[in-house]
Amino acid sequence: MFVVAVVAAVLVSAVLAPVAYDAAQSAQSDGTVSVITVSGTITGSTVDSVSEDLREARTDESIRAVVLKVDSGGGLVAPSERLYLEVLRTSEQMPVVASVQGIGASGAYYGMLPADEIYVLSSTTIGSVGVISAGGSAPVPDSIIRTGPDKAQPTAEDRRRTIESLKRQFVGRVMEHRGEEISVSRQEVAYAKTYLGPEAATNGYADEVGSLPVAIDRAADMAGMENYDVVRKEPPLQGGFILFSAESDNDTMIYKQGPGTNGPVPVTQPLLVDELPNQRPALATRDEGVTHNASA
Amino acid sequence: MPARELVAPAVAFVAIVALIVGGAAAVPFVSGGDATDVTNLAAERTDVDAVTVAEAESTGEITMDSGADSKTVLIDRAHANQISDQKLSTLTNALVANGHEVEYVSRETARGPGWNESLRDADALLVANPNQPYTPDQLAGVQAFADAGGRVMLMSDPASIQQIGLLGLGVQQQSNGDASLSSDFGVSARSGYLFNMHEYQQTYQSIYATPGSGSLSQGVDRVVVRDAAAVAVADGQTALTVGERTRLSTTRRADTYGVAVQSGPVAMVGDTDFLTPESAYVADNEVLIGNIADFLVSGEKTANAPAPPQQGQSGPGGEQPPTRPPETVA
Repeated sequence: MFVVAVVAAVLVSAVLAPVAYDAAQSAQSDGTVSVITVSGTITGSTVDSVSEDLREARTDESIRAVVLKVDSGGGLVAPSERLYLEVLRTSEQMPVVASVQGIGASGAYYGMLPADEIYVLSSTTIGSVGVISAGGSAPVPDSIIRTGPDKAQPTAEDRRRTIESLKRQFVGRVMEHRGEEISVSRQEVAYAKTYLGPEAATNGYADEVGSLPVAIDRAADMAGMENYDVVRKEPPLQGGFILFSAESDNDTMIYKQGPGTNGPVPVTQPLLVDELPNQRPALATRDEGVTHNASA
Repeated sequence: MPARELVAPAVAFVAIVALIVGGAAAVPFVSGGDATDVTNLAAERTDVDAVTVAEAESTGEITMDSGADSKTVLIDRAHANQISDQKLSTLTNALVANGHEVEYVSRETARGPGWNESLRDADALLVANPNQPYTPDQLAGVQAFADAGGRVMLMSDPASIQQIGLLGLGVQQQSNGDASLSSDFGVSARSGYLFNMHEYQQTYQSIYATPGSGSLSQGVDRVVVRDAAAVAVADGQTALTVGERTRLSTTRRADTYGVAVQSGPVAMVGDTDFLTPESAYVADNEVLIGNIADFLVSGEKTANAPAPPQQGQSGPGGEQPPTRPPETVA
């Protein structure tokens, strides 16, 4: 009988000990660092999910710092600005540190601008502060009737003014947030160049070379936490079939899927992306001879 | 169990639930609840003036000063010239409105001796963005045409990249110039486009050019060229130059590049976009277009040039009258 009691006690303790250990750890923890993943093409839905995580971080009292784990080559303009504003709102409340993985360019860079510090890897590509857009408008067929000459047909000048205005907003915010660190002039930023991590850490596009754990530790440190918990927020998995919708502009199917993006990107509207969406790299980089071709 | 015995626990249950739930509902009233204080960050962080891009102001009329008699301006359409009728319309309308004639030489009419026969009937030649090489006979004909006092206007955009293929995934580069033609007259275009990150109209490729010397720049304060090529002249005048901080895309070097040059009977402009109806009245572009029209009709070409080859010689001219005269649009 005594033996049974001892065995039972050991078994029960074995189950309860980890719980007690965790409880003791949590009791010692000063708070939580929320690691929020921003990856793939920045679209309305990706920003919806990230915004929700950021809002949770702002309202949950145990979360005292945020780390953005970024791996994105940008995306649509308005979602990128929304991401920027959400990160800004969060950074006014608690330390936010960005840790860029493979790429943090264009719209993704826009989104992380309000972070207190930006960490990059040696292989990270960062930058591309600019906007791209289709230049002209497809002619409107006579079979379509419209109420005004600019309905559904912006002029080339309209498009130029649009992307220039978006560029000024983007460059202005880069200078505002990175102004003290950045050694590159406003005009050079507007070249929309990308930089590798070490150069970015030198010229002020980023702050330091360092991996995700370093960024997490830095965020905790900035929040005054020595012992901290980490909670990871991943974007919802996109299960099932991925259907490629393709936008048609001037009878040309335009879509894009590549590293840093996870879906088709229409170029009928201005984009904050790092690569031209409809360029075949093999052709784009090949030094083609100039052709004298009448029919093209 | 008698029902009476259940009354007391039931009352206790209801009382406790009412107390807890009611208390929870009352807490926000006492504490004031979660006040939502949302600052308008987007408005705070947007400098409306800084991000407003002004519309280009379009004023003025395209006028010609020249009182020259009716001249015939021949427009090259025989060398896969990448220029739209819409672009040319601003210039051709000005010429026609002032009593001059505009003719086009197509690939069909330029065959064999046709090119030089077309030149013989013309007073000026306009070549924009050729994408097929000129034959030695054609080059000799243009040279003889210019030597005889005919005016030659070359327009050359930077090489353009066109999308080709079913999905638009392929690209093809078009040269938009023929160095053998321009080099005959001591003018040339550099590869790449000009841009200015400091001073530009709307976007970095729309840059301002100011007058130098030569008839093309008369009365011009500044013009706007878009996606322009840098042009240079060996022995002549640089009519329009771009600002100092303008750079060439290929070398990234800043310099005072020329975008319009003149050398006697020949002129070259490194852009065609200023001709488009929407750009033609921006800044002083309309003055430049008028000057180009004046330049085209300013020559006094001697008759029968380029001369047909002598009997028994093979040459550019040919002796027969043209079997297919150039299409007349004026």
